[in-house]
Amino acid sequence: MSDRHHPGVQEQGGPEAHAKLLRDAARELADIGVAIQEASAHATAALTDGAVLKALLRAPARGYRAQRALLRAVTDRKGLGYAVTGGRLGSLAARLGGMAGAESLAVLILATSLRLRITAVTLVHPELADDPLLGRLIEAVGADRDIEALRALRALLKDRGAVRTLSGLAPVFGEVLALRALLDENPLNDTAAWLIATGTGYASADPVTGLSNRAIAVLDTGEGAARRLDLDPAEAARLGTRGSLLDFLRNIGVVGASGRMLIQSVAGPDGVERHVVQAPGMRPGRPDNDSPQDLLGAFSSAVLDSGPYSRALVKAVDDYGIPPGAEIALIGHSAGGAAIMNLAQDTRFCARYTVTHAVAIGSPVDFKKPADPRTWVASVTNQHDIIPTLDGQGAGGCFDLHPDWYVVDYFDSTHLFPICHGIEHYTATIADDLPEARDRIDDRLTPYRGRVTRSQAYLLFDRVPCPDGFPFLTVPTYPATTSGGALELPVRCQEGSALTAYFAADPGMAATLLRGTGLGPAVRVAGRALVTVHASANRRSSLGGYRQVDVGIVVHDPWRPRSLRVWPDLFRRADHRRSGSCLVGSVVDTETVSAVAPEIWGCEPSVAALDVEVTAGFARVVAGGPDDRLLTFRGSLGPGVPAEAGDMVCYSRRGDTTLRSCVQTRGRGRVHLAPRARLIVGQGAHPMARHLRALGLDGARPLLCLSAPAHQTLRGAGVPVRTI
Amino acid sequence: MPDVPDAIEAHAGVLQSDARVLAECAERLRDIGARLAGDGAAPEWLRETVDAHVAACVTAAADLAEAATRLRVHAARPAR
Repeated sequence: MSDRHHPGVQEQGGPEAHAKLLRDAARELADIGVAIQEASAHATAALTDGAVLKALLRAPARGYRAQRALLRAVTDRKGLGYAVTGGRLGSLAARLGGMAGAESLAVLILATSLRLRITAVTLVHPELADDPLLGRLIEAVGADRDIEALRALRALLKDRGAVRTLSGLAPVFGEVLALRALLDENPLNDTAAWLIATGTGYASADPVTGLSNRAIAVLDTGEGAARRLDLDPAEAARLGTRGSLLDFLRNIGVVGASGRMLIQSVAGPDGVERHVVQAPGMRPGRPDNDSPQDLLGAFSSAVLDSGPYSRALVKAVDDYGIPPGAEIALIGHSAGGAAIMNLAQDTRFCARYTVTHAVAIGSPVDFKKPADPRTWVASVTNQHDIIPTLDGQGAGGCFDLHPDWYVVDYFDSTHLFPICHGIEHYTATIADDLPEARDRIDDRLTPYRGRVTRSQAYLLFDRVPCPDGFPFLTVPTYPATTSGGALELPVRCQEGSALTAYFAADPGMAATLLRGTGLGPAVRVAGRALVTVHASANRRSSLGGYRQVDVGIVVHDPWRPRSLRVWPDLFRRADHRRSGSCLVGSVVDTETVSAVAPEIWGCEPSVAALDVEVTAGFARVVAGGPDDRLLTFRGSLGPGVPAEAGDMVCYSRRGDTTLRSCVQTRGRGRVHLAPRARLIVGQGAHPMARHLRALGLDGARPLLCLSAPAHQTLRGAGVPVRTI
Repeated sequence: MPDVPDAIEAHAGVLQSDARVLAECAERLRDIGARLAGDGAAPEWLRETVDAHVAACVTAAADLAEAATRLRVHAARPAR
C-alpha cells in the first residue's frame, strides 16, 4: 500500500477525490500510450526489416502491397499518426517527423495524460485555475499553440517576475515542460518528455532544449574529499543536543549552504550508539566551484547515481570513524537529499554500514532506490518548491513510484519559491503545520532519539584540495618574535589585491627625504623624481586580513646607480632586483601588523582606517577617516596591458640600519598608462600626508599604474644592508 | 539465418497481436471517458479528445490487422 500522504481532506466528490480520479486516468492513459508506442515500434521494425525488403524480389506484387500496408499503418493520420519509431532508421525518421511537427497517436495520448495531470493539480490548486495568466499559458501549451504560449509566458514574466512565475508554475512545472516538449518540433527533448509523461525515469534531458542532463552532470568531476572543521562557538551552541527530526533539520540550517555537513552520534533509547549524517543543500556562488555543493553538484546528485557530493559524504563518514556495520540515518535537504539518497543506493557503502533511514527534504529523489531494501525512506516536499520537480515528477505525478516510501507532498500557498525551498521554511512547516508527518517520521527515527554524544562538521570538496597557495606559498616557515608579538615568516597572503601608482614628484623634496638613508639618488623621469603609492588589500594572510598603504621614493641600486639600466631592473623579479622603493610613509589598518612591522620590515606604520578596492579598470584607495583623511586615490585606470603582477622591493630604516625586504607576487596584473584616477592628499599633519604634499602630489595623476585584482604574495623579513 | 518467410510470418503474428492491443486500447479509452464523465470529474475538453483517440485506435487496429494480413500473404510459399 502506498504511503503517499497528501495533507488535505479527500471528500467523496470533492476536489481531492476528483483529482485522484484524474490522476488514475492519467496513469492509465500513459499505459495506453506506452502500449501504442510498442505497437508502433513493431510496425516500424517490420517495415524496415531487411528480410522483408529482400523478399520483395521473390514476390514483388505481394511484397509491395505488404510494404504499402505497413507504411500506411505507421503514417496514417487517422490511426497511429506519424508513428515511425525504434531502430536506427526508425529513430532518424521519428526525429525528422518530430521536426516537421508530425505527431503520433502515442504522443497525443500522453499529452492528454499530462493535461489530465495538470487538471488534477488545478483542482487542488484553485489559484492556478483562477489565475488568468497562468491559465492562458497552460492552455496554450496544451493546445500546442507556440506563439500564444510564448506570449503568455512573456506576460507572466512581465506581470510577476521570474521568481513568482516559477513559484506559480511549480506544481505543474514538470507537466507543462513535458507537454511542451512532446508537442514541439524539437526532436531532442522528446525522450525527456516521454520519461516525465510515463514516469519511467528521471528527465534525462532538459525538456526545453533537449540538452542531455547526463552530459551536463558529467562535467561535475572529482573523487570527493572532506576535511574536519570546527564550527564557530555560536554555531556549535545552536546544534541540537538530542536526536529528533526537527533537531536534525535545525542542525542543517545551522551548518547552512556553506559547503559543510555534519555528522552526529546519538545514544539511542536502547543505549546503542548510532550516527546521523546531515547534508545541507546547494551552496550559492559560481555554478562550478571547488565545493560539491555547487549548482553542478546539485544537478549531478539529482540525475546521476553517484557524484562528488555523495563521494565526499562517504569520505566524511569514513573519517568520522563509524564502526563497520553500525547503524546510520541519512538526513538531507535539497541537493543534500539527493546526495544522501545516492549514498543509500551505494552498495559498497551499504555493505560497510547499515543505512536504516534516509530522509530527504525538498529534494528530487523520485528515481533513487536504496541498495538495502530495509532502508526506510521519507520524502517531504512543498508543491510550490520547484527543486523537487527537477527530476520531472512533481505535484501532478500520477505514478506510485515508491509504494514503500513515506511521501509527504504538501501545499502551502503562503510560501513562494525560492523562500519555500529554504531549510528554515521546511523546518517551520514540519514543526507547525505537519504534525502528523513529523510524528510519523520521528516515530520511525526512534532508535536515533537520544542524547547527542558527538558532533563533527566537515568541509566538503570536489577533490582533495591542494594546500592554500600551492605551490607559490608552499615555502619553509619559521617563527619570529618581536616586542609587538609573535608571527610566522615569511608572511603569506593567499588572497589579496594591490595597486601601485607611479608619480612624477618634486626631485628636491625627494632628495631631502632620502637624506641620511644612504639611499639614492631617486630615479628620475624627465627631471622629476619617481614616487610610488602602493596599496594592498591582504584579505587572507598569515597575519590575518589587513590593508596597507606605502609611499616610497624609487631609488637606484644603492651601490651602483645606473641611470638607464634602472628601468629594466625595476621590472625584474624581486630576488634579482637591485633598485627599490625607499619607504617614507606607511599605514596599516590593524594593530597586529603595526606592532610587528617595525622590527620585521623597518617601516613604522601607523594605524588608520583604510579602504582598498582594485578591479580590472578601477581603483579606490582611501586612507584615514572622514575627519583625518590622509589620501584618496580614486578613479578609472583606463585600459590596461596584461602583465604579471609585479614584485616589490622596499628599503626602509630601522634605527640607523637600512633594511631591504621583498614582496614576491604571483597573479595576473595590468599596466595602465596615464590613468585618469587622481590622488587627493589630506591637509592633516600625518607624516604620509605631509610628505605627499611636499612632493607636490596633491591632485596629481600618476604616470602609470600596475593593478593586480587577485594575487598572492610572500614577504620575508627585511635584511639589513649597509648603505652608509 | 532464419528463413525469410518465417521472419515475415513472425512480424505478421506480432502485428496481429498489436491490432488486438489497439482494439483493447480503444475500449480502455472509452471506459476512462465514461468513468470520469460518470463521476463528474471529466474536464470539458476530455470527451472530444477521448473520442478522437478512440477513433484513432480503431483505425490503427484496422491498419495493423491489414498489414498483418498482407504480410501473411507475402510470407505464404507459392503452391508447387
